[in-house]
Amino acid sequence: MSYIHVDHLQKTFIIRKKRETGRLLREKETVFALRDLSFVIEKGELVGYIGPNGAGKSTTVKILSGILTPDSGNVSVDGRIPWESRREHVRNIGVVFGQRMQLWWDVPILDSYGLLKEIYRIPDADYRQRLKELTEALQLENLLRTPLRQLSLGQRMRAELCGSLLHRPGLLFLDEPTIGLDAVSKLALRDFLRWENREHGTTILLTTHDMEDIAALCSRVMVLGHGQKLYDGDLPALLEKYDTSRTVTVRFEDPETMPALPEEASLSREGDLVKVVYAPGQIPTPEILEKLQQAGTIREMTIQPQNIDVLIAAMYREMDL
Amino acid sequence: MRSYLSAFRLRRKMELQYRGAMLGGIICQVVFGLILIALYRALYAGKPQTLPLQHVVTYVWLQQAFFRMLLASDPDLLDKIRSGSIAYDLCRPLNLYGFYYARIMAQKITGSLMRAVPMLLFASLLPEGWGISLPASLPALLLSLLALMLGLLCVSALENITMAFTMRTLDPRGIQAMLNLLMMTLSGNILPLTLFPDSWQKVITLLPYAQLLDAPIRLYTGDVPVGEAWRILLIQAVWIAVLIALGVWLWNRHQKRIVLQGG
Repeated sequence: MSYIHVDHLQKTFIIRKKRETGRLLREKETVFALRDLSFVIEKGELVGYIGPNGAGKSTTVKILSGILTPDSGNVSVDGRIPWESRREHVRNIGVVFGQRMQLWWDVPILDSYGLLKEIYRIPDADYRQRLKELTEALQLENLLRTPLRQLSLGQRMRAELCGSLLHRPGLLFLDEPTIGLDAVSKLALRDFLRWENREHGTTILLTTHDMEDIAALCSRVMVLGHGQKLYDGDLPALLEKYDTSRTVTVRFEDPETMPALPEEASLSREGDLVKVVYAPGQIPTPEILEKLQQAGTIREMTIQPQNIDVLIAAMYREMDL
Repeated sequence: MRSYLSAFRLRRKMELQYRGAMLGGIICQVVFGLILIALYRALYAGKPQTLPLQHVVTYVWLQQAFFRMLLASDPDLLDKIRSGSIAYDLCRPLNLYGFYYARIMAQKITGSLMRAVPMLLFASLLPEGWGISLPASLPALLLSLLALMLGLLCVSALENITMAFTMRTLDPRGIQAMLNLLMMTLSGNILPLTLFPDSWQKVITLLPYAQLLDAPIRLYTGDVPVGEAWRILLIQAVWIAVLIALGVWLWNRHQKRIVLQGG
């Protein structure tokens, strides 16, 4: 039996809307957050979970963490049904909701950790060791006595992550953990997650809109749209399907050089840079490079794949999301 | 159990940080107390009542000193429900009712003790007719302290019920406004319950709101003699059992049908 088993999961919400005419009664509308979602995750996997806003990602995480009860379908995590044996289930999971806070706002973060220690009944020695390990990896040593309200967003996110991992959960749900972080914090956070996954075999389900997160961390990615699973597999294969254009930028010795290229490639000039945009499916990359070399001596050249966000946007469009 | 105690301690620590709010609260409550006492003095000067004035003055001071116990919905908790941060508490291996009960109690105890001690000191320095008088007897004092503790359990249970409703309505303001009106009137904070007509008092003193402060104050002033204290303590105990049972039932019901706000 797999570690996480999700079978034909369905969840609806009722949205109340104000009528335009300003009457007191409100209209009710049923919205499908999830319809017929199924997947399997093995122990130790680091899975990326993407999809546009409102696709049902957070709802999945909330059901898997035992907070919400689905309308129908089966879920088993480590042999338990999350919402039925909630307290046993949550003992072994850690959750980070990127836009919410679990640590107490007005007290030093060490005090919040102390409370978590009691909640999860972590033995003293284990707590000290784990706290040391986490504070080192997340660079929190100097912040432990600072109240949460005085930390920056990046520091706070690292502190939150530490709080979610103190009890050594075997399964970690991350809901947009890098939201609003600067480049340095993002990189540090990714390094940490890779380390945690490798070192402790923690299974991680990562929900994000940041495709760089996925590319850096996840070997497997699931795409969700309209409450259904649209793709499940590795990221390169997914990108290849939508990776329809490349950009080559060249600087020639002689700035006046204008290469002769097949019609399908578009050619433009920006200062002394020549920019070629082409579809690798139509014209093989070696052919483009050959033509460029024939045109003159090259001083500098870069090949760029399409921006990953543009790719994902194209994919969402094609999937009609 | 330790996790609930730990939550209690942390909430207490948090409350201790709001010293500015404490000072403001004390000044506000002292002014309120003085105004109310001036009012009752004027009333008594015009038409003396059967209840001694000094009882009323003591009643007012005790009500004002422990005001924080009555009107102090934990803004943090309500905000959690409004913003959806309660999601974190829902994925803890805890009984949420107990967890929040501990937090509410910590806030009420710490908040009211921080204010009550300096205020009662101040009120004891005022001259006869303006200041608070000593308890009727030592047993009366001890019994009123016991009743105060039971009152605290009662009011925490009441507030946890408000929380459970907020889980359902998702906004606390409606129910809070309503409950605060009931609370302030029926607990004797606006007008001492001892000044209500006797027939009214018979009913009002049976309600849960009268168990919070009115019951311990009556024992303190000797309005209820030590020999009849068991009646008050029994009513309090019954209400505690009923309110906790109702709260647990509501929490379990609402937790199953929870909706998280804010995506």
